[in-house]
Parts: sequence; structure tokens; C-alpha cells
Amino acid sequence: MSPLDPRLQEALDGERDPGDLPADLRDAYARLNAVTHVLKTTPPVSVASRVMAEIRENPAPVRRGPARRLIHWLGRPRAVTVRLRPVWTLALAAGLATVLLLPWSNGGPTPGVAQGIASFVGHFPGARSVEVVGSFNDWSRGVLHLNDDDGDGIWHAKAVLPAGPHEYMFVVDGERWVSDPLAGRYVDDGFGAGQQNSVLIVRPVSAQP
Amino acid sequence: MSWKLVLALALVARSAPLVAQNGNGSGTTRLAGRVPAAALPAIDSIIAAAAAESLPTEPLVQKALEGGAKNIPADRLVNGVRRGLLQLRQARAILGHAVPGQSPPEGHVAAVAAALARGLSGPIVERLLTLAPDEPPGPALHAAADLVAHHFDPDSAADLLVEAHNKGLRGVRLLDVAVAADHELQRPGGRTPSEALAHVRAMLPNLRPGRP
Repeated sequence: MSPLDPRLQEALDGERDPGDLPADLRDAYARLNAVTHVLKTTPPVSVASRVMAEIRENPAPVRRGPARRLIHWLGRPRAVTVRLRPVWTLALAAGLATVLLLPWSNGGPTPGVAQGIASFVGHFPGARSVEVVGSFNDWSRGVLHLNDDDGDGIWHAKAVLPAGPHEYMFVVDGERWVSDPLAGRYVDDGFGAGQQNSVLIVRPVSAQP
Repeated sequence: MSWKLVLALALVARSAPLVAQNGNGSGTTRLAGRVPAAALPAIDSIIAAAAAESLPTEPLVQKALEGGAKNIPADRLVNGVRRGLLQLRQARAILGHAVPGQSPPEGHVAAVAAALARGLSGPIVERLLTLAPDEPPGPALHAAADLVAHHFDPDSAADLLVEAHNKGLRGVRLLDVAVAADHELQRPGGRTPSEALAHVRAMLPNLRPGRP
């Protein structure tokens, strides 16, 4: 459909004198005006008469019980129009992602029944990085890092671990293996150099004080 | 991006760290690339021997992973894993003697081996195993190892743990016995180890839950 010339639109809206229009537009104005007049004078088909005609053409349906009507209603496809404001949609997506992606809530880890919370603290002034490596993470590097946000040399981390005993060590600056001086339990690592692993026994959450 | 895709990605992202934390998966496939190639055949053979004897293999896999992470030379790494196998065998023998006629669960074997590694003697371990044969022995054994590590007499330590058990302390609560004894030992004024144990005995079973 071609757009209506704005001048013609203005004349139809009564905002411009039709006499000011160019000849071709004046002709179009006259025809459109005539059509408008015809539409105004033709009596509209009433809603009631259309409904009655529909009823005559379609006989009354067989009456169904409430259960069958419910099933019919549930099973019948319906067009659903959902109008979403982008801002609310994005907010909902952000909220869902926060709940699902973040393993920490209420400021700390949330353990299961057979798990407990382990706290690691170490005093390593001047260290650039400190991590915990142990049997709970298959002795893998780069999994559990300690933080020293205020730069006072006290590094700490919390983690949810399976309840039970775990051996571990700190790795300072990516190369220096250090026993946890606060562990209180140690065991020789068995590799013949006298190095000692720290031993942590994680209490299940139900047994934690 | 559809909601279903967002949800699926979120669930995958959430579940991945759990798998990594639990360290699921077993056997020597976990060792590929984590231990020196020169050590791998010998470690494979040690782990296979443990499996053939129905001993737990996870402590040996962990020991190999630990050695690999610490860059332990291959020969020392293999020796460390072999030593672990010997401790598992010794642990099962002690369990068989303490609780005859039962095939001990792998967890019990591993717990006894860990206690031996921490320096507990066979007789002390055996005595604590008879305390409650159906309960996991780990906490009682670690409590005893804690006490021995703090220079308490091993037999007196075992006596105290038996009494604590008889007065209702179970599981990780037994660790509080060792914590309390150490606390008594550190008190200003100085107590001897036997005095410290006597004080803890007098407090049983009302001990403050200590830190892990």
C-alpha cells in the first residue's frame, strides 16, 4: 500500500483547505471524500444480527459435563500473546542466572548433609598468591585460592568439602609448598623428604558447632 | 537465546564444579598427564595389585596425584605409592585381627592405613577398632593420633577414648576429646599430660565442640 500524501491527509483531517491542493490531489480528495460519505451513510450490520446468524448456521453443541469441558478447554490450542518489557525480561534473566550460577549464598558456602565448611587461614606476608591443594581437589592447582583483600598478609578462604579427613598443603607464589601451621594435624607425605601434609577433618554440617 | 538454552547452560555451569570437587572418576586414567611418564607403569602395577587384593585404590591414586603435583622424582613417587599399598595391606590385616570373620569396608581399611601413617601403633589401632566394629573408625583413630602427636601416652589416650565412647561420644565428637586434652595441657600454670587427661575424663561426656 502506497502512503497517503501528507497534504491529502491534512485535507481529509480538516487541517488544510482542499482548494489549496494541486489538481491531482484535489481529484483524489474528492474520491476519498465520496467513499467516506458512503461509509457514513450505510447502516452498519449490528453485532446482534451477526451473532444470531452465526447461531442459525451452527446448531447448539452437545452439552458436556464439567470434566469434559475442562478437558476440552485444556486440550484446545489457544493463541497466547505475551507482552514483555525488555527491562523486566533482562532483570528476570539476571536473577535466574544469579540463583543458578552462584555457588555461594548468604555470604558463605552452603554445604549438603555429608559436607562441611572448611576454613583455611595462613599468614604469608608479602606473598603474591596462596592456594590450597589437597586430596579434596585431586591435588590440582588453581582450584582453591586464598585471598588477602586488605593486604595484611593474612590469607583466607572457605570451601564446602566432603565430610571426613583431607590432606593438603598451601602453595605460596605458585612454587613454595608449605604445611598449614594452624592445622594441628600432620602426616609425613611418604615421599622420603620429610615433608608433612596438613590434615583437616571436615565435620558434617550437622555436627559442626 | 531461548530460555531453555539459558537454563541448560546455567545448570551445566552449576554442576561442573561439583563434579570437579568430588573428584569423581577412578583408576589410573586420572593419572595420565599428572604423574611423570616414567613412573606411570609402576604405579599402574601397584594400583592393579591393590585392586586384585580388593584393597581401596583411591588412596594410592591420591598419593600418585600428590606426588605429581609436587614434582616428586619418579623413583621417589613410586616408592611413596608402594608404601601406601603396604600400609593398606597392614591395615586390612589389623582389621581382620580386630574384627575376625568380616570383610572390612574399603573406607575402614583406608582409615586404618591413614592412622598408621600418622604414627599410631598396630595394637592401639586394634584396640580402638574393637570399640565399635560397625562404626566408621576414622574419628576415633584420628583422635588417638592427635593425642599421641601431642605427646600423650598412647595407652592412656586409648583408655580415655574408650571411656568417652562408653559415655556416649560418637563419631567426630571423639575429636573433641583430643582438643580438650590439648587445651588442658596448654592451660597457664602447667599440667602434666596425665593431669590433663584426668581433667578431660572428669568432664566427659560434656565437652565443648571444638574446631575440626
